Amino acid sequence: MTRSRIMVLAVIIGVSAFVAIGARGALAQTPKYGGHLNLMQREDLSQGFAIHETSTIATSFPSMPCFNNLVVFDQTKRAESVDNLVGELAEKWSWQDNYRNLVFLLRKDVKWHDGQPFTSKDVKFTFDMVREAPDAAGKLRINPRKDWYSNVEAIETPDPHTVVFRLKRPQPGLLVMLASGYSPIYAAHVNPATYRTGCVGTGPFKLKEWRKGEFVDYVKNPDYFVKGRPYLDSLRYVVIKERGTRTAALQAGQLDVSFPGETTKTAAEQLKKAVPGLVITPVAQAVSDNVIMNTKKPPFDNPKIRLAVAYAIDRKALIAAVHQGGAVPGASQQPRPYGVWGLLDRDLATLPGYGKPEDMKARARKLLAEAGVTPQNPLKVEMATRAIAMYVDLASFVINELKQVGIEATLKQVETAQWHPMATRGEYQIGANLTGLGVDEPDANYYENYACGSPRNYSQYCDEQVQKMIEAQSQELNPQKRLAMVSALQKKVEEDAARPVLDWRLDYFTVWPYVKNLVPHDNIYNFGRMADVWRDK
Amino acid sequence: MKAYIAQRLGIGLLTLLGMSVVIFVLLRLAPGDIVDILFSTGGYVNPVERQAIERELGLDRPVWVQYVEWLRQIVTGDLGKSYRYDLPAWEIIRPLIPVTLELAALSLVVAVALGVPLGVISAVRQDTALDYALRVFSLAGLSMPSFWLGMVIILTLVAWFGWIPPVTYVSPSQNLWLHVVQFSLPALAVGYRSSALIMRITRSSLLEVMREDYIRTARAKGQSGRVVIWRHALKNAILPVVTVIGIEFAFLIGGLVVTETVFNLPGLARFLVEAILWRDYPIVQNLVMFIAIVVIVSNLVVDMLYGFLDPRVRYGH
Repeated sequence: MTRSRIMVLAVIIGVSAFVAIGARGALAQTPKYGGHLNLMQREDLSQGFAIHETSTIATSFPSMPCFNNLVVFDQTKRAESVDNLVGELAEKWSWQDNYRNLVFLLRKDVKWHDGQPFTSKDVKFTFDMVREAPDAAGKLRINPRKDWYSNVEAIETPDPHTVVFRLKRPQPGLLVMLASGYSPIYAAHVNPATYRTGCVGTGPFKLKEWRKGEFVDYVKNPDYFVKGRPYLDSLRYVVIKERGTRTAALQAGQLDVSFPGETTKTAAEQLKKAVPGLVITPVAQAVSDNVIMNTKKPPFDNPKIRLAVAYAIDRKALIAAVHQGGAVPGASQQPRPYGVWGLLDRDLATLPGYGKPEDMKARARKLLAEAGVTPQNPLKVEMATRAIAMYVDLASFVINELKQVGIEATLKQVETAQWHPMATRGEYQIGANLTGLGVDEPDANYYENYACGSPRNYSQYCDEQVQKMIEAQSQELNPQKRLAMVSALQKKVEEDAARPVLDWRLDYFTVWPYVKNLVPHDNIYNFGRMADVWRDK
Repeated sequence: MKAYIAQRLGIGLLTLLGMSVVIFVLLRLAPGDIVDILFSTGGYVNPVERQAIERELGLDRPVWVQYVEWLRQIVTGDLGKSYRYDLPAWEIIRPLIPVTLELAALSLVVAVALGVPLGVISAVRQDTALDYALRVFSLAGLSMPSFWLGMVIILTLVAWFGWIPPVTYVSPSQNLWLHVVQFSLPALAVGYRSSALIMRITRSSLLEVMREDYIRTARAKGQSGRVVIWRHALKNAILPVVTVIGIEFAFLIGGLVVTETVFNLPGLARFLVEAILWRDYPIVQNLVMFIAIVVIVSNLVVDMLYGFLDPRVRYGH
């Protein structure tokens, strides 16, 4: 190559590189500081900011900006897995002693919103309280996630910036559970009861005002430990109970952001038609539709009848009719690609209720016949469900499906106040239910919903083999082996019709185009910290 | 007159006492309580924790003790604490009252401003095309629930103009114009329904009066039609209309639930429903008592107005 040719080539490469860098710079916008966002809030905060005392998105989403976790799922990435964990109050962490000790090195530059320094004492206070350690300094009034931490033997604080979770046995899933939006750190110097009316956190926003039934106002925390964050000056979560008004407010631009889990596929399509500029992101909710059957009482103490129910319900038809396509089929773990642990399609296809509808219904009728249920002697049951539209729609569909195989179910709508007491006490025969998983981690799911004696195991299903499988997968350190064990567990509980899962709901999270960096996750409970969100307007 | 008012107030107090028993008993008859609701937000129930919360809220005491305690609190001006929000009930209720009173009053203004003149026109033009049109207008108002009309207004506004009234409460001191806009649409939705009722009552009452001899006499004496209608006929026909207005006002105080929900106004009717769903006894009991007081007072005011409007009506004899 001649010298002149080399020169020409160098110029071409140089110009190309310049153009490429320039184009990339133009695409990746520089965040802007300042501004305000109005976010949709479906109902008033049920327990104020006391996240540890609730299991509802109505509390966790508007409380997220106030708090921090030790670790959290990367707020700028949609997928949630152990690979997407980032430190918040913990700078570093490591497993030691073959996954028996989880050690966190904490940040030293963190202050609570009232100016007190954050230390390891706060972490110990929080999780001793949640796991109800005998010497815990705090006590929760209601403690729905105690079981998550039942394997923690002790929490040690060798110095103000080091915390060690000592476990009874290895439990790799613990780290992921600590990243859930349901695992914030409370201040040790604040009475936990006061979180029901206010919020002292370490998060990017400070609570300014909670006007009951109207809104929650936040202002930027100027002392936030991540330098240069948050970008926004203020946030307002506007409580609007009426769904039509909520949607109209979003469409009219009075709200900038929808509520997680709120926007159905149909609503999203209408919104997009009305305001083409709206940014709509379909994500998973981590909420499943399922059928609970009381395994302790006739007729559902008979495994054949339970299995017949599992076979009878056409999942695809349910997704088309009730969700207009806004859901996906799956077993007891959120299906892939939304979740890490979901069964492969080929495995799912072998489960009760996933084959050709007519074959499945024939199978259901055969099982019922074996159990003595015939067209001349139909099974009459009461289908309980919460008196909320999304539950009633589901129950109505299921009743119609059951009727086709010879189970005549009448609908019993149960008021919210009575639903969980009724389900927990087993005062029902069969029910249409929704279950949200706080984190995509088998331990959080199986200990809560399938383990013997758990208060949220509404079916009161208890199987020795399943119990062993839950324990075994929980302590398996090899990720591939654990995945296989969880797959086997999923198949087993579906084949036992412990709590047949019908589908997993999708959300069509909607924001105005000027809302930047608010990335919805495939789990409604784990995003919304708002530190990285900015407004391009 | 004084004796009559004192007697009415005495009866009012007895009514309130009776109401207090009814409210108290009905609330306790409803299935579930605040503790059930609290646990439902956690998705489980624990009997031991349940007992602790019942103790904390005083729900473990005998029902009659709770009732007497509530009466004692009312007498001493202490309305107790909200179970849900752990705040004094009065602190929660106080900001809600002006919102509902303002909406009810504005709705009534709309109702009277529309209902009375249209009722008069309809009566005067009886059996004409205008009368039929106005009767259809009023029938439509009676047939359309105000919340439905409210939702139609909102959906129409957002579909045509991409705009709806503010969804967070704007006080007059913050922005008077926005405040007026925020209240005028729900007042229109609610007032239209009430106006239909007032219009029909005005029309029928006026038609009856206009057949009286003294109206014929007034006409025979050469008084203009306008004077006959507005000075003689309407004055005598207005008593039943005033009764309806009084009843409507009392009804509106508790009956604005859905309109407040649709327009997202932080009034006491909407809050009352929320409190019932949460079995927040202190809030529900005191709000219902407040509504009962408004009903009693508005009935008393209407009765007093009778004497003012019709000299033949005298009390205390």
